[in-house]
Amino acid sequence: MSAIAWYLERAGIATTGISLVRENTESFGPPRFLWVSFPLGRPLGTPGDAGFQHRVIASALSLLERRDGPVLEDFPEDAAGPAPDAGELVCPVSFAPQARDDAGGWAERLAGEARSLAPWYDAARETRAGRTSVGILVDSPVDLAREAGAALDSGNGLPRARCKHVLEDLKAYYLEAMLAQPGADAETLGRWLWLETVLGDAMLELRKTMLVGAEGQTALFAESLVPRWVLDLRAGDESSEDRSN
Amino acid sequence: MVRLSDLPDFEARHLLAKNGALPGPMPWVADTRPASERRFVIITTAGIHPAGSAPFASNDASYRVLPGDAAADGFAMSHASVNFDRSGFQRDVNVVFPVDRFRELEESGQIAGLASRHYSFMGAGLLPEAYEDTVTSLAGILKQDRVDTAFLTPV
Repeated sequence: MSAIAWYLERAGIATTGISLVRENTESFGPPRFLWVSFPLGRPLGTPGDAGFQHRVIASALSLLERRDGPVLEDFPEDAAGPAPDAGELVCPVSFAPQARDDAGGWAERLAGEARSLAPWYDAARETRAGRTSVGILVDSPVDLAREAGAALDSGNGLPRARCKHVLEDLKAYYLEAMLAQPGADAETLGRWLWLETVLGDAMLELRKTMLVGAEGQTALFAESLVPRWVLDLRAGDESSEDRSN
Repeated sequence: MVRLSDLPDFEARHLLAKNGALPGPMPWVADTRPASERRFVIITTAGIHPAGSAPFASNDASYRVLPGDAAADGFAMSHASVNFDRSGFQRDVNVVFPVDRFRELEESGQIAGLASRHYSFMGAGLLPEAYEDTVTSLAGILKQDRVDTAFLTPV
């Protein structure tokens, strides 16, 4: 972001904008940025709150009237936190009891899970006037789930770009299905996706499979499939198990 | 909250590793006009693009065009990083690409105008110099579109 500001400003286009990590922005010293204390992924703060978003934008636009810089100002408000009942996410789908067991291949289990979310994905999409962020690829989510599962079943994996796009579309599909529940906050959704679904298991397995003997870009890619917090949590779980054994 | 002191150590270390330096002394467009006299473009590094258009690859310094009149009916996100929340974007695209808010500002006269197209990069893992050619070329396109000011959003 800072680099884009630097090159635009050099070319005569004035810039202002949002900083999410103050230390990073400070290190680069770009012309004008407003630091906000919001979670990564939410530079305007609160989804669906036009008034709040306008206050953020107005603060950033006011920096354009400064006579010199660099300007890195703090936005005084925090974004709204989760609703009081936000930790009580209930998955609307009753996954078959064996869904996360090893019975059946990955392709079968993943496709079944994706299929069971379809009514909730459709319902959630309807509440957003048809808008969806699923659509990097043209294939249906059930077909993508089957493709990812087949890659694990066969041990052949997927080409890196294809793998990334298949998983991004599937994650968007799963999360949008859960957005049918308005109170679901980001942390709860993340824990559900990564710790309670076959897809979460499959992504961890893909990472593990791809890391075997991998070097260079393939190893970096495999590492990037799973968020650091999930790996940290799993590492903690494994060391607890080790201690109890 | 992205105060590093609130984050786990491993996350704070990762973010601090992204500190860096720009290619030279800071350029500064000396123009203090208020927003109401400026024509804006929105540029995000969220790695979004119209659904069905070419997704971003890893280590990709190119940009995607976000049509200025696009209805909020289908932006996909193919950002390489999995370490940020996507559910906010999935609920409301304006949380990373505030195009509806800027349209409202234009309608109410709080900005002078909006670009006919907006742009998305994928900010991840590249050194600043990687963006020189694409951003310099984009600046020319923006001037043709009579844009004088860019509003930048990260992810």
